[in-house]
Amino acid sequence: MDRLITFERITIEPPLEAIYRRLGYRKRLTQIKPGEARALGESIEQARSLITLKGAARRLPILSKDSRLIRLPGNLRLESTHLAALLANSQEVLLLGATGGAAVIEAIRRDTAADNLTRAVILDAAASEMVDAALDWMEAFFTRNLRRESRRLTKSRFSCGYGDLALENQKLFHDLLDLRRFGVELTEQYILVPEKSVTAVAGIETTH
Amino acid sequence: MAKGQRKLLDVMKKRPLILDGATGTELQKRGMPAGVCPELWCIEHPEVIGAVHGDYARAGADVVYTCTFGANRFKLGQYGGPDARSVNRRLALIAKEALRGKALIAGDIGPTGHFIQPFGEVDFEEAVAVFKEQARGLLEGGVDCFVIETMMDIQEARAALIAVKETCDLFTMVTMTFERDGRTLNGTDPLTALTTLQALGADSVGCNCSTGPDDMVRFIGAMKPYATIPLIAKPNAGLPKTAGGTTVYDMDASDFAGRAGALVSAGATILGGCCGTTPQPLAALKKAVARKKPAAPLRKSLSALSSARKTLLFEPGRPLAVIGESINPTGRKALQQELREGKTALARQMARDQETAGADLLDVNVGVPGIDQEKAMQDLVQALSVATALPLVIDSAKAEPIERALRVYPGRALINSISGEKDKLRKLLPVAAKYGAMFILLPLTDKGIPETAEKRAVVVRAIEREARKHGFTRDDFLVDGIVMTAASNPKAPQETIRTVRWVTEIFGARTVVGLSNVSFGMPERKWINTSFLAMAAASGLTAAIANPAGEELMFVKMAADVLDGRDRDAAAWIAHCAKAAGGGKKGAAIEALPPERKVREAILDGNREAVTGFVGEALKAGLDAAKLAQEIMIPAIVEVGERFGRKEYFLPQLIASGETMKIGMELLEPFLKEGMMKAGERGTILIATVKGDIHDIGKNIVALMLRNHGYQVVDLGKDVAAERIVREIGRHRPQVVGLSALMTTTMTQMKEVIALARRNGENCPFVVGGAVVTKAYAESIGAEYARDGVEAVQVIQRMVR
Repeated sequence: MDRLITFERITIEPPLEAIYRRLGYRKRLTQIKPGEARALGESIEQARSLITLKGAARRLPILSKDSRLIRLPGNLRLESTHLAALLANSQEVLLLGATGGAAVIEAIRRDTAADNLTRAVILDAAASEMVDAALDWMEAFFTRNLRRESRRLTKSRFSCGYGDLALENQKLFHDLLDLRRFGVELTEQYILVPEKSVTAVAGIETTH
Repeated sequence: MAKGQRKLLDVMKKRPLILDGATGTELQKRGMPAGVCPELWCIEHPEVIGAVHGDYARAGADVVYTCTFGANRFKLGQYGGPDARSVNRRLALIAKEALRGKALIAGDIGPTGHFIQPFGEVDFEEAVAVFKEQARGLLEGGVDCFVIETMMDIQEARAALIAVKETCDLFTMVTMTFERDGRTLNGTDPLTALTTLQALGADSVGCNCSTGPDDMVRFIGAMKPYATIPLIAKPNAGLPKTAGGTTVYDMDASDFAGRAGALVSAGATILGGCCGTTPQPLAALKKAVARKKPAAPLRKSLSALSSARKTLLFEPGRPLAVIGESINPTGRKALQQELREGKTALARQMARDQETAGADLLDVNVGVPGIDQEKAMQDLVQALSVATALPLVIDSAKAEPIERALRVYPGRALINSISGEKDKLRKLLPVAAKYGAMFILLPLTDKGIPETAEKRAVVVRAIEREARKHGFTRDDFLVDGIVMTAASNPKAPQETIRTVRWVTEIFGARTVVGLSNVSFGMPERKWINTSFLAMAAASGLTAAIANPAGEELMFVKMAADVLDGRDRDAAAWIAHCAKAAGGGKKGAAIEALPPERKVREAILDGNREAVTGFVGEALKAGLDAAKLAQEIMIPAIVEVGERFGRKEYFLPQLIASGETMKIGMELLEPFLKEGMMKAGERGTILIATVKGDIHDIGKNIVALMLRNHGYQVVDLGKDVAAERIVREIGRHRPQVVGLSALMTTTMTQMKEVIALARRNGENCPFVVGGAVVTKAYAESIGAEYARDGVEAVQVIQRMVR
């Protein structure tokens, strides 16, 4: 099994377009006054200061696969027709996990309790998008390295709980990525805590 | 100097030095299968890699890279873990055999694929050891120079450079990979990479891979004015595209070569090709620039500091720099305790606070008696490297913690300080030179502090003479003006000012003072400190060690920058004033409106700060509370909902208006009689996020919207068990129950809640919502569905009716 790669600090700019979109902003329709834009910018900056992005990744060879089942080393298996279709041309999988840390969740809770739901919602959206962007960042990191190996990542990635990849698989991701080292725990319902934590799997394909 | 190295330098005086093109691209074309280890495959097929090397030499490459990009212990470990040193030696020998002197050989060192502390899990010394192993093998194979390439992490580039420099003194090039936004994936910009790497001893710095030549013109252009060494551009053959399952690049040989002139004009002295380039475009490139003479470096030294993400230039005309002084345990018991316990949380918070307050640099001191200061300094510097973008000032009375910090710091740091004390000079100057650090020159000797500026000048010159022996120039240090307490010696502040003026105007170097000492023992110290700062700034001060949280101090600093011509167009001053004023208030237009219109506008604008005053004004003007609620505020919040529905408003506006409405209604509450929009008169709604689910922001929005429409909301919170929800239904008898869930696994709890309620004889209607919930699912469990907060209000109004 390949060595776990961890990223103790992922430094990215808040993906403003995605945050705005998540908050319901629509180009040419939504009208924002300068003061509102400034306040929004300040809240996003606050989110940035509260979010500590950390990530982990692991490459694993695919031992065998059919239209539904992907077998990985150590008797691990992922069952999903959607995932199997995504990995049709893959020889390996790349497991990814990222977290924004607990501080932003605590700030959201505090703001909500203090009747500042406006800022809580912005922090929430910024945290969701930044954690997602951290996965994009890790994919970009591996894409650079894989190009040198004549390999590439699949165009999309897949997360537990989507399509027919059961959320229960979160345990496998949580263990293999050793997300506990970042303080990320898994609930009985297979939800990652702190809330702004995500995992995903992408395929690694050869390009020639 | 070795013969190969001399040749390399001679070429650069006449024309651009040409590096080779892509190796991987060529190997694939010549039969290397996908998925194999290129280095091991080349050892098994020396004739193939030998031919690639030869073709590049024939195409005109002055320097050919060994095929050792991934020949480090980590990457070779994926292929059975052969001995990295012998793999590197063998591949260097293959290159030597193939080239037979037709081109110089660069030992190629690529990234390990891991991130190094503090950005990743690999220990810094482990990374240095891994690169040393590679460097030793390459050296044994007879390489003429080294290239550390395709680095995304400045710390990994540093580890590799230190490894090579501690192994030999061959010419070493370092190239980073910048994205199109002008930063590496890890956030380092070209100037910052240059500042760090050239100070650390790289003989040439530049960029490779990632982008085509057009973007690299920008990167080289950003570095050139500050480079003391030649710059490298080794771009891809344009941008990658996927065609038929294969990665191809969008430039042909003439396109590629056509861009080379622009790279040389921007300041590149060393050119080559990266992914997608083959001998043909390389030959075209060489031809295109054969008659172009590269510009020599524009300077011999650079006064600048860097972190992993930022550079601070000490250039004439730049604003006075503030060095945040808080991370110092002297007189700070909480920090002392934290350092004793090996923790860094408080220091990281202090770093963020000082950065927000406007500091340009952060002083870091771990001087707590009885602790392992070397370890404490290393741990803290690593923690701060990721907590702040500001460059660090390494502050210690001992040499050892300073050396440890400089080794692991992913930037160019400032040492605080090196004095004329013999022991300090002997220990610290070589350390500062090895890691390329700048230092604060403290003009005191073993005999003590000279009292007058003239006597300090003598010490300054003496320390400078010693520093020159280690290659330092006047750009590499800031002279400390030495601040003494005014209370004990009234003449001392003037001597400091005279020292600052002498250094600035006569000696021609930069200066720094530690401000707060001047006011020691005085009342209202901030005014003394601030006045002293203004005096020193007027005398040409470069940097001040101070507390950036001091509002007066920062205002005076910013004002001094304006008056001294260090703040162009007063842009920083204007921004500082706007920030201090809280971003401005609502315009005067609203003030001209009648009171009830002001309330309406406040709700539409989500102006939570103003609504209290406006409602009070309306009541004072004699407006009836019920009328204000029903005819002004409710229509206003309904209009907000409609604007949200039309997407003219987005979520923050909807909620800000909702919160404004809530504040307004709470103010009216005591004046409202029954039946007049009193809180909760429309009925009770019980809401909860179901068991197992912790995502409740959507539910909180719904609660706010419902309260604003006159409902009493019983919010049970998140992760609420079905039994409790049903129990609370029995207790509150709500008109409607709202349930939310975000995950597929928790969504099923909704069905269980409804089933349990029915089994318990509760017939209340349910409405459900959440990211994965659909109308069809809601119908399947016998509930209504609402997409968002606005729709929830509409659906519930219908259900209650």
